[in-house]
Amino acid sequence: MFMREQRFSYLLIFPAVALISIFTIYPLLYAVRTSLYDIVLSMPFMKPYVGVGNYQAVLGSYYFRGSLLNTLVYAGMSVCLVTLLGLGVSFLLNSPFRVSGVLRILILFPWAIPFVVSGVIWKWIFNSSYGVFNGLLYTLGIVDSYVSWLSHPFYAKLCLVTAHIWKEMPFASILFLAGLQAVPRELFDACRVDGGTSWSVFRYVIFPLLRPVLLVVVIYETMIGITTFDLVYVMTGGGPGDSTSLLSWYTYAETFKFLNLGKGAALSIILALLILAIIIGYIRVIRLEEVY
Amino acid sequence: MLRKSVFLVVVLVVLGLGFNAFAADKTIELNFISWSYGVETVKDNISKFEALYPNIKVSYSDFSWFDYHDIAVQRFLANTPTDVMYGSDHWLQEWAAANWIVPLEDYFPDFKNYEKEFAPYAVEGMTYQGKLYGLPYYADMVVFLYNKEMLKKAGFDNPPQTLDELVEQSKVLKEKGICKYPLALCFAKNEGQSIEIFTSLVYSFANGNMFDADLNPLFEKDGAVYKALKFLYEALNTYEILDPASLTWGEIDLVKSFGAGNHAFTFVNKYNLAELNNPAVTNLAGQFSIALFPGETHSCVGFVRFYCMTNMAVKRGKDVIDACGKFLNYFGGKTDGTYVVPKRWALEKGLGFAQLPLYDDPEVVNAINQWGNVDIEKEQAKLARAKQGMTPFYGTWDIFMREQIHKALLKEISIEDALSASAKYWNDLKQKFGKK
Repeated sequence: MFMREQRFSYLLIFPAVALISIFTIYPLLYAVRTSLYDIVLSMPFMKPYVGVGNYQAVLGSYYFRGSLLNTLVYAGMSVCLVTLLGLGVSFLLNSPFRVSGVLRILILFPWAIPFVVSGVIWKWIFNSSYGVFNGLLYTLGIVDSYVSWLSHPFYAKLCLVTAHIWKEMPFASILFLAGLQAVPRELFDACRVDGGTSWSVFRYVIFPLLRPVLLVVVIYETMIGITTFDLVYVMTGGGPGDSTSLLSWYTYAETFKFLNLGKGAALSIILALLILAIIIGYIRVIRLEEVY
Repeated sequence: MLRKSVFLVVVLVVLGLGFNAFAADKTIELNFISWSYGVETVKDNISKFEALYPNIKVSYSDFSWFDYHDIAVQRFLANTPTDVMYGSDHWLQEWAAANWIVPLEDYFPDFKNYEKEFAPYAVEGMTYQGKLYGLPYYADMVVFLYNKEMLKKAGFDNPPQTLDELVEQSKVLKEKGICKYPLALCFAKNEGQSIEIFTSLVYSFANGNMFDADLNPLFEKDGAVYKALKFLYEALNTYEILDPASLTWGEIDLVKSFGAGNHAFTFVNKYNLAELNNPAVTNLAGQFSIALFPGETHSCVGFVRFYCMTNMAVKRGKDVIDACGKFLNYFGGKTDGTYVVPKRWALEKGLGFAQLPLYDDPEVVNAINQWGNVDIEKEQAKLARAKQGMTPFYGTWDIFMREQIHKALLKEISIEDALSASAKYWNDLKQKFGKK
């Protein structure tokens, strides 16, 4: 009886699993297969099997170390700031004030805008001739002439991170808000009665109960941060130089500019493994089983 | 028996008539893609072409110039229907080697006859392994433009003839407060024109070459390539006459800033002069002029963008190939003895052309002189040279070279290191492609 029920369960979920497999597992396996061959589109008649040759070539390439560092710095800054700011904003939204309900809706607008549109908006904001940011700084007397922010390697990175935070922070804040609202009020009261300060309340009551949400936020934002491509493509094109060229940019460049499908696939697999390693690290550090 | 025979004959006649009717009504659809320039003009040209050939319908799509190459590659890979399209001399080797586009003379032998009327650098740019792959959409040059009002204000009667004069005039413009950055370029990392501008600077030096006849890079210290990069480095860092924003600008950004009167000098594609001197577009129309490319040789890059036919079209069969031939001939060749479409681009948009007989057309000469100078243009065209190093791996190397140029300009690495790395990467690619 139990076996029949089990088989029936599998049968019911089989169509969904099959569909998902076609659009996720098959492309993944195909990408792995592609990464094992030397496929250069401008040499269409030779596609030799090279095993891990593409991986070695990519790891030893002129761009890998620099772009890996750029990616880790970009993702690190984005994740930290999105998480911290998201948490801060969620506390504000959780406070009872007149327009908090409306703000909770409005705050999602940046997140709803596609990265490409977001990139264009921020490229215009930082424009060296007519950008609003320059206009503001000039009006306040902070600069005596407009600055070309996107042509400076360091500032270009900061501009990208700023655009990323603007886009992603709202979603993090909504997730944290949901987590905050699930914390029982009695625990706050109990802590205060025991003489706890606001910091104690946060440290011993709120933070432990927010850990599951925190895990979701950092995992999600890490994935977004490491795989960000469209924002970079639109705002800086990977420049100036290679200062904003992330691994995702070179994955695109290998495939569509250099026409090397094998290396492009290898780089994308490496990117996926990097994300997986970081997620495993998160899970171990945050240690959810200690919460309850 | 007789009735049956008559019936059979009638059926056959009806079938025959029906087949002819079907054949006569058979419409061939061509899929045409281009980058987004003058889209309304392109659509109008397509309407006129369809009116001339009612059984050919053209399905047209346009894409941003910045993304065009990558989108074209995706279309080739996915076999997205594409029969005729825009191409460029710097992609020809790559696309022809991948067998994505086909030699036109194999399908339309008459097209070979056009070559003697095309500018030599244009023919060179459309030829791969000795075969003609395109008919010109337009051909143009990277030219030197200047703001004559700014120069007058600074006390100069003539534009600079050499790069040293350009630096000296720029210093004066800067000192007098006429403009903060007299020189501006479109050197964004994703701007494909940047390598053409850089190559033009190389050509402006005596014996200026990027590669030798065996495609070995000539990037040694104190060579023309070194001098070109040193000029840019000093313009940006030493004299501060080059706008740092140039490293983030595409062509459109540059033309907007130049047209707003922010700079006195630029190197850019010639057709932009028509827009700059168009009163409907800018308040400063009439202030901008063309001069011979400053340098020892006054040489510059001449390039060609062309119409080509894809392998996908060939696979669709003879009717489609014939239709493509008609399309290519209408858009890039002659109709009733005239280069109708290239002439229209020249008259309405100021686009340059590879079809040399158009320089003898009084209408074209008058149109050019409205915003430019046909004599200087003709003289510059004689000195224009095709880009060197056109190989299937040029595009790959180009991305790397742009990064190295940026890094040298930003003082992240020395000029010597930038050129040394670029030369090594070129040689590595050459060996890889040569080995295979």
